[in-house]
Amino acid sequence: MTLTSLVFALFCVIALIIYFIVPKKFQWIVLLISSLIFLFYGNFHISTIIQALVVLLPTYFLGKEIEKIFNTKKSRNLLIIGIAIILAQLIYLKYINLFVATANHICNLFKIQYQFEFIYRNSLIGISYYSLIMISYLVDIYRGTCKSEKNIFKFALFMSYFPILTSGPFVRYGNIKEDLYGEHKLNYKNLCYGLVRVFWGLFKILVISQRIGMFVDTIYGDLNTYTFIFIIMAVLLFPLQLYTNFSGSIDVIIGISEIIGIKLPENFTLPFFSRTLTEFWRNWHITLGAWLRDYIFYPLLKSNAMQKLNKKSKEIFGKKIGKKIPLYLSMLVMWTLIGIWHGGAYTYIIGSGLLQFVIMFFEDILGPISKKINNKLGIDTEVFSYKLYQVIRTYLLFAFTMIFFRATSVSNAIDIIKHLFTNIQSLFNLNLMFNLINNIGLDIFDAGMLIISLLVLFIVQLLQRKGNIRDKLFKQNIVFRWGVIYTLIFAVIIFGCYGVGYDPAAFIYRQF
Amino acid sequence: MEKEEIYERLNKVFRDIFDDESIVVKPETTSSDIEDWDSLEHINLVVAVEQEFGMKFNMNEVTTMKNVGEMVDIIMSRI
Repeated sequence: MTLTSLVFALFCVIALIIYFIVPKKFQWIVLLISSLIFLFYGNFHISTIIQALVVLLPTYFLGKEIEKIFNTKKSRNLLIIGIAIILAQLIYLKYINLFVATANHICNLFKIQYQFEFIYRNSLIGISYYSLIMISYLVDIYRGTCKSEKNIFKFALFMSYFPILTSGPFVRYGNIKEDLYGEHKLNYKNLCYGLVRVFWGLFKILVISQRIGMFVDTIYGDLNTYTFIFIIMAVLLFPLQLYTNFSGSIDVIIGISEIIGIKLPENFTLPFFSRTLTEFWRNWHITLGAWLRDYIFYPLLKSNAMQKLNKKSKEIFGKKIGKKIPLYLSMLVMWTLIGIWHGGAYTYIIGSGLLQFVIMFFEDILGPISKKINNKLGIDTEVFSYKLYQVIRTYLLFAFTMIFFRATSVSNAIDIIKHLFTNIQSLFNLNLMFNLINNIGLDIFDAGMLIISLLVLFIVQLLQRKGNIRDKLFKQNIVFRWGVIYTLIFAVIIFGCYGVGYDPAAFIYRQF
Repeated sequence: MEKEEIYERLNKVFRDIFDDESIVVKPETTSSDIEDWDSLEHINLVVAVEQEFGMKFNMNEVTTMKNVGEMVDIIMSRI
């Protein structure tokens, strides 16, 4: 059941109607049943039930136990057991092929004939999301940030709350429990705000992302025919495809929750206006960043081993450089993990992990140097033109890293990079150019629609920078307000890509 | 230990970590008041404060402290 399917829309409408007509104290039970239907939809087997229970039961019981013996050595041991169980299942179901691929590479390297076979397991939807959410639940109880949930069915709802199973965001038990189990009345403002958010998300996915996808897939599918300018265009457009797909999904998820009365954390705040990649990642997949910061990065930096390294490196390299070494090492660990989380393949580890680290490493080193040079030359870095240069530079760097993220393999990514600047002379072969333009996966209507919808996205984001756009919209008079809302709804229905070449199942972030 | 003394010693730690002799911390000082106080420098600061006062913050406190005032309250409760 994908977010843009008719089945999902019907499912949500029915679930919401029942949610608001049952007595309020039973509302959370409606959410639980809906979530379980969603979780096991088309995937109801003994194996998937066991998968869910393997995480649910230990986390639930260990959470209660850790709370009971709070602040003891035994509570630490129980925490480690809990995390190990959750991670073992996650690695087994999602990342085992990374080990298989590595083993095969090593066999090739040593000219051993044997090749291990890839293992494909049928895993539950949202396993990468709920596994990390369950880990944060246990750690939060261990740290005393929140109390454990005593009702196992309520706990099951926390683990399986259906909107976030598709693409996040990562929630914390302490922040969501009151909304999740609370009693909610259908509120006109929440309904309107939520619906606008849902349709804005659908607009991003169906009108923009799917269209870019048709173009990018065509170009990446035939690197020998489409050269130079087409490949550059595909590389430049892919970050927008990813962004509109992922942030659109988050809009739908937050919108549905808003209608219910559940406030979810934001996952994006206009990343493409960022002046550095470091800033970009503060605005992109925010809840994953916060999760890694609180549960990996800080504990790692604060660990005795890192503190010892800190002391040693300060002695050797001096205070300024010395303190950076444990920092960079922790960043390297964190970015490798972000890469692995995105998928059990080297393309993800390089694209969304190591390359990000390398660029941020250089940003950190070169930042002060460039500041000094700018000061000496009297260059004003706060003027529009300089900011624009930084924003474009950040976009180009991110687009480059995404070549690996999008590629089918590392060699495919290198192939794309090689093709970026080859066959430049083809630009002057007008017949060939016309022929290729006619076969880019988009007809003139789609291409025009894509340009217009990207302009709409850009204008909306400019307005969003100046404050909450929905607040502004709902302050307008009734004709204008509903005019905009109906235009949005009809734009999704009429201009959404539902046709040939559109695969509703192909959600980029859903696979993680 | 008096609050004034804690602030005095904290000032020393902040100036040392952020290499800025002009820093004067107040209860309402937050990360947005000091240019280099980002999430990366935050941990170095926390560890330096721990060493200065011979106490430990737990991870919950490290991630939820909102200003210097809260930091001082935790320090006072531990020493």
